[in-house]
Amino acid sequence: MHPTKPAAWTNTPDAEEIARRQTVNINIETVSNNISTDYPGHFPGEDVEFTIERFREAFSVNFHQNDQFLSSFSLVGIDASLSNAFRRILLAEIPTLAIENVYIENNTSVIQDEVLAHRLGLIPFKGGREGLHNFLKWHKKPEVGEDPYAGCFDWNTVRLELNVECTVNPDASPAEDDPLKAYNNAHVYAKDLVFVPTGKQEEYFSGENAIMPTNPDILIAKLRPRQSINLAMHMHKGIGSDHAKFSPVATASYRLLPTITITKPILGADAEKFAKCFPKGVIGLEKVTKKEAAKKGSGYEGQEGQAKAVVVDAMKDTVSRECLRHAEFEGKVKLGRRRDHFIFSIESTGQWDSDELFLESVKHMKLKCKKLEQQVINMAR
Amino acid sequence: MPREEYQVPTGASGAQRGATRDAHESRAQMSYLCGDCGGSVTLGKDALVACPHCAGRVLYKERTKRMVQFEAR
Ligand SMILES: [Zn+2]
Repeated sequence: MHPTKPAAWTNTPDAEEIARRQTVNINIETVSNNISTDYPGHFPGEDVEFTIERFREAFSVNFHQNDQFLSSFSLVGIDASLSNAFRRILLAEIPTLAIENVYIENNTSVIQDEVLAHRLGLIPFKGGREGLHNFLKWHKKPEVGEDPYAGCFDWNTVRLELNVECTVNPDASPAEDDPLKAYNNAHVYAKDLVFVPTGKQEEYFSGENAIMPTNPDILIAKLRPRQSINLAMHMHKGIGSDHAKFSPVATASYRLLPTITITKPILGADAEKFAKCFPKGVIGLEKVTKKEAAKKGSGYEGQEGQAKAVVVDAMKDTVSRECLRHAEFEGKVKLGRRRDHFIFSIESTGQWDSDELFLESVKHMKLKCKKLEQQVINMAR
Repeated sequence: MPREEYQVPTGASGAQRGATRDAHESRAQMSYLCGDCGGSVTLGKDALVACPHCAGRVLYKERTKRMVQFEAR
């Protein structure tokens, strides 16, 4: 016999089903539905093949914050594999300039040479963009036995110097017990590092484009009278996968957009308690309207004017799951995360602008794909 | 230093083979720093190990005058 109604799976998915598919459920102690299913062949009869047109149509970017060194934006309609690739490229593959070699002539401070060198390496620097991104090229580490300076040129090495000596401040009162007033140079800061331009570096790094620490007040060492530090440093370009000091970001991370669904009304004192389970601004209180109160089976019957909890801005939620711990909200709320909505946050260390960093990560990703494409072509030949 | 670079010292090059210390008569006077008063102390070959300024008996060797290279890692 021929079935009168086609099977349920032959229907195109409705909005509810689509919402179910793109939500990761956050339960009281577990996380479920955490695997993407939007690939060909998963749902019979559905065509979900990846095409660039479909991607273009579904994809969107919107910025929440775009300061020079801190940006936050949403990528919507993208798979976790891609946005994670961008994140990893941001952390480990975008080059920056950092101190790589330290040549210590003298260091009589209490901080050991190797610790001092390590501290110096971690200081983030800024400088002229054109010089940093285009003029400066990679430096090749010399082989053992090779002249260590033969590969150093103005286009791959930046020289810095640090010469400080602590002395007693003759103007200070003898009873002064603040070392910063009693002595000169009691603290050595990042701003004490002196950039020594060589060759064509004058053109690219002069005036406000000079190579200098992004945060001039980083404390490097503390000195007491007759202690001194005399050293020179070489900066090279490098990437984060070689050493974290080269990473252009202080943090580059994403989180999925939280979703809060109130499935049954939460009213009165419960609503206030419910709002307190979330960070400020996530849950708001509204009055139950006459229309809602009149509707049978809505849960609002006879509750006109009573306060009810509504979701105002789920993006602000930290997904602490606090609301799931209280018996009075059981079965009334569902927490989840949108699987394809990535809220990125990129904080630059100063050598790049944070929005520029994301574009750079896309550029790197594209380059990787081109390389892979060529290899696939060679393989198929 | 990689092993390949190591060269067995031969008798011809300077110090006698098996000698445990170099013959540096030119630097018989060594300079130290007093651990108590911080003053500079120069000691002769058989001098008493003590600071002439404060009689402190703890003396520290001076830091090398050579440049030392470190990787900032
Ligand atoms: Zn002494």
